[in-house]
Amino acid sequence: MKAPLALWAIRVALFAGAVTALAFLPRLLGTFRASQFALVAIYFVALLGLNVLTGYNGQISLGHGAFMAIGGYTTAILMSDQGLELAGHTFASDMRDIYTIPIAGLVAGAAGIAFGIPALRLSGLYLALATFAVAVALPSVLKKAETLTGGSSGINLFGVPRLTGLGVETTVLGHTISFNDWLYYLSWTVAVVLFAVAWLLLQGRFGRALRAIRDSELAAAASGVSLATYKTLAFGISAFYAGVAGSLFAVHTTFVNPDTFPITLSIFLLVGVVVGGLGSLSTLVFGAAFIVFLPDVAQRISKSPGAPAMIYAAVLIAAMFVLPTGVGGLVRRFVSPLTTRLYTRS
Amino acid sequence: MKARLISCVCVTAITVVAGAQARPDRGAADPGVTASTITIGGTVPLTGVAAAYASVGRGADAYFKYVNARGGVNGRKIEYKFLDDAYNPANTVQETRKLVQEEKVFAIFNSLGTEHNLAIRPFLNASKVPQVFAASGATTFGADYKQYPWTIGYLPSYVAEGVIYGKHLLKTRPGARVAVVYQNDDYGKDLIAGLKKGLGSSGKIVAQEGYEVTSTDVSSQISKLKSSGAKILLIAATPAHAIRAYIAVNKIGWKPQIVINQVAAATNTMKIAALSSGKVAEGSISINFLKDPADPRWRNDKGGKLYRQIFKQYGSGDVNDVYNVYAMAAAHTLVGALKRAGKTPTRDGLIKALTTLNETNNPFILPGIKVSTKPNDRFPIKQAQLQQWKQGRWVPFGPILNARG
Amino acid sequence: MALKDTRLMADFLQQVVSGLASGGIYASLALALVLIYRATQVINFAQGEMAMFTTFIAWSLMNHFPYWVAFVLTLAIAFAGGAALELVLIRPVQNAPVLTIVIVTIGLLIGLNGLARRIWGSDPRRLESPFSTDPIRIGGVAFSIQDLGIIGVSLALVALLFGFFQYTKIGLGLRAAALNPAASRLVGVRVSLMLALGWGLAAVLGAVAGMMAAPPLGIFDQNLMQPILLYAFAAAVLGGIDSPLGAVVGGLLLGVIVNLAGTYVDFVGADLRLPVALVIILIVLLVRPAGLFGHEALRQRA
Repeated sequence: MKAPLALWAIRVALFAGAVTALAFLPRLLGTFRASQFALVAIYFVALLGLNVLTGYNGQISLGHGAFMAIGGYTTAILMSDQGLELAGHTFASDMRDIYTIPIAGLVAGAAGIAFGIPALRLSGLYLALATFAVAVALPSVLKKAETLTGGSSGINLFGVPRLTGLGVETTVLGHTISFNDWLYYLSWTVAVVLFAVAWLLLQGRFGRALRAIRDSELAAAASGVSLATYKTLAFGISAFYAGVAGSLFAVHTTFVNPDTFPITLSIFLLVGVVVGGLGSLSTLVFGAAFIVFLPDVAQRISKSPGAPAMIYAAVLIAAMFVLPTGVGGLVRRFVSPLTTRLYTRS
Repeated sequence: MKARLISCVCVTAITVVAGAQARPDRGAADPGVTASTITIGGTVPLTGVAAAYASVGRGADAYFKYVNARGGVNGRKIEYKFLDDAYNPANTVQETRKLVQEEKVFAIFNSLGTEHNLAIRPFLNASKVPQVFAASGATTFGADYKQYPWTIGYLPSYVAEGVIYGKHLLKTRPGARVAVVYQNDDYGKDLIAGLKKGLGSSGKIVAQEGYEVTSTDVSSQISKLKSSGAKILLIAATPAHAIRAYIAVNKIGWKPQIVINQVAAATNTMKIAALSSGKVAEGSISINFLKDPADPRWRNDKGGKLYRQIFKQYGSGDVNDVYNVYAMAAAHTLVGALKRAGKTPTRDGLIKALTTLNETNNPFILPGIKVSTKPNDRFPIKQAQLQQWKQGRWVPFGPILNARG
Repeated sequence: MALKDTRLMADFLQQVVSGLASGGIYASLALALVLIYRATQVINFAQGEMAMFTTFIAWSLMNHFPYWVAFVLTLAIAFAGGAALELVLIRPVQNAPVLTIVIVTIGLLIGLNGLARRIWGSDPRRLESPFSTDPIRIGGVAFSIQDLGIIGVSLALVALLFGFFQYTKIGLGLRAAALNPAASRLVGVRVSLMLALGWGLAAVLGAVAGMMAAPPLGIFDQNLMQPILLYAFAAAVLGGIDSPLGAVVGGLLLGVIVNLAGTYVDFVGADLRLPVALVIILIVLLVRPAGLFGHEALRQRA
């Protein structure tokens, strides 16, 4: 169904407005806040990926932290100058190191496809367990594969000055900016680009096929949608996004070790996607902000034993009571009477 | 979609709110120092698998409150912000960045965990922020000062501890066959390295089995170690796993001479271990450098009484938790160093003071053990005493030994 | 030669019994998960923390009452607490999408952990065991009395529950409400009451799992049930997420396999016990996608 021109104009204007606001945000914030907002962008990318799989395609994943880990470790291994045998790079220009980010995404995506194929046999909870198993098992495997991953000590990326600027200042395209600002712009650029890609993907045939499969596999198959292809692709794309997010996360934290991607990460990703709204994209920003800021806010309110956790839990449960379909669901309910007007006018 | 308009508005709103909380820069003095306060910060696992170490933060906090009540450091009160990292190094990095870049602390103090301190060490050194008394016995924190001049540890190094055990076994059980159950990370491995060094050519480690800090059962490891025929067992673990190791040893009817590392050897831990494991715990050997609150020797001791007084007034949790004592010892040393860090303390001044420590009367440390450093010797505590578990308490024996890293 | 073989055999039997003991604990918690799943299609992520919470309550009670009195009191409190949680937290969102309810249980997990830290602090503590920690010799092999006791309690519990479900009216009502709520209402079953009862029973199962799990570990703290929940989840799926028999068999099997793999397969050793268990389950799922005893996965609610 083609939307009328007015609707497109509004969408483009809003998108441009959001991008402009994002570009100027660091001026208004302190330097530390910039790095926190960078983290929001990173989780946003991961949530976009998870939503493609779970919201749009109905396959539940409790293990996206594992794909983030794969992406993060790929970047770390490629970039570190800590003497790991696998790293064979020498970098000569300022920006070269960030090319590891798409590579990390592709490696994770490949892992996603490799997982998606046998996962075709599983559905619902069994699939959830399988992804859960991967996320739980991965830290132990990472520890065991010491020569590649640095074992439990992990890999320290601080020694890559061109990328991390030793955490203080870095030179990009000839300009010197603070590391936190660099993190912010890098993460949000990637996030905006990947958001646009996801949006375009899901608008067209791909998105329709995914949703058809989610709503009824039988009907979808009967209409000629190849379940195997689309379900596996969904896994691959979703894992790609998570891998990119993991790669950015590694840059952000300048350190990876098996404990930086625990099972709680996968669980928080699921929380973020439900709070943000399954089946919608832009509101996932709220899910990401929820994951990043709520623990902070809870600790600020009270530091006495157990209190931050209780506050977090209360807010989370209340959010589910008030917004059972997430922020996305709320926005859809709010917006649809308005957009139907827009549609019927033409 | 209007969704994006709403997102836009909300992002702007969040920005305004967040921006309003951004703090202004503090002016000419080193960050974290004002006319009336010195702000320091650190990360401690308040939740998660290592939450038993939370008292490392609370104990220090109690000590600082005590010092503040008595005028503070040259008139300045110490504000100690310890944040939760849930023992996840990624959180350690983020919280530490928050402390340095947003809270603008003067120094990072008493952050806990080997990997965790390793993760933040390059950042702190690059930002020229003192990393004081990293709560980890990994040798690198004292040994690599040329590369990381802003970092210093506190605990006797785990390697040195292993050496003490090795040398003791060499003396008392030459030719010993030793089995080791250890935590599968740098902590456990350092202890094994030290043990090997101390044993030298006499005595051998015939079997070693690691366990993950997230696991809850070590029985299969203990089983395997028993079948190696070793007569001595070194337990290089954290308290919970040490207790489980004792239980497992008892369950299969094994009776080795047990050596248990200092971190896991607190009296209240040993009491539980002894209760749950028959006679196996009797005769266990360990080292000590702190005044264990459950040891009756320190009941009427000045330092012991001070500890109890501070704990009662400002502490929380279990008074017999020896991590509180550790924390107060480190806090005491820091206060002494801050006093010598300049009329208006500076970070450079603090590092100078920390590399010229000469504390002989820390109330929380065993008498005879000094806290001392030189610019080229960054191991503050290099001594310990052997002790043996006899009938419900630790009985020290032998002289104060060297525990150089 | 013969003596060594006997030693090996003895060690092997010891490990099997140990495995069955852990397995009994996994089975109890897995059964709780299955109970709630059958009734509501929701995996209660908070099942472990509920069990941990009741274990702490047991600890407090055991400071004042003899063991078995405290034990029964804890079960009663667990039952009431479980039912209350269903009414307060799950009932309001019962028509929401499944994932939303799952997130509520995740919130409950986080909240209960925090509350337990607030009430009891983070220090580890010791839970009394009704069974001695000494070994007993049966046929020349030393078995732990505690292990045997745990197996006994788990089996007794399962038998009791089985009897309850098969032979009592309420049990029948619970089964009916889980299987087909609409039809059950038509024949007069109070479905909402059954839901609350189901949660209460699951909480009781968890409480027993917790009280059995804590003593062999020597000490316990708020992290007690987290690894056990993972194993229980795995066991429930292995057995078939909608099969109570599957949960029990899955739990026992898992306990034994994990123990044996950890002891006898060098590669597995310490680090990879749980991952290996999970890999085994994944393999089983590839062959039988609905678990050992499960039925074809039902359509999830929209």
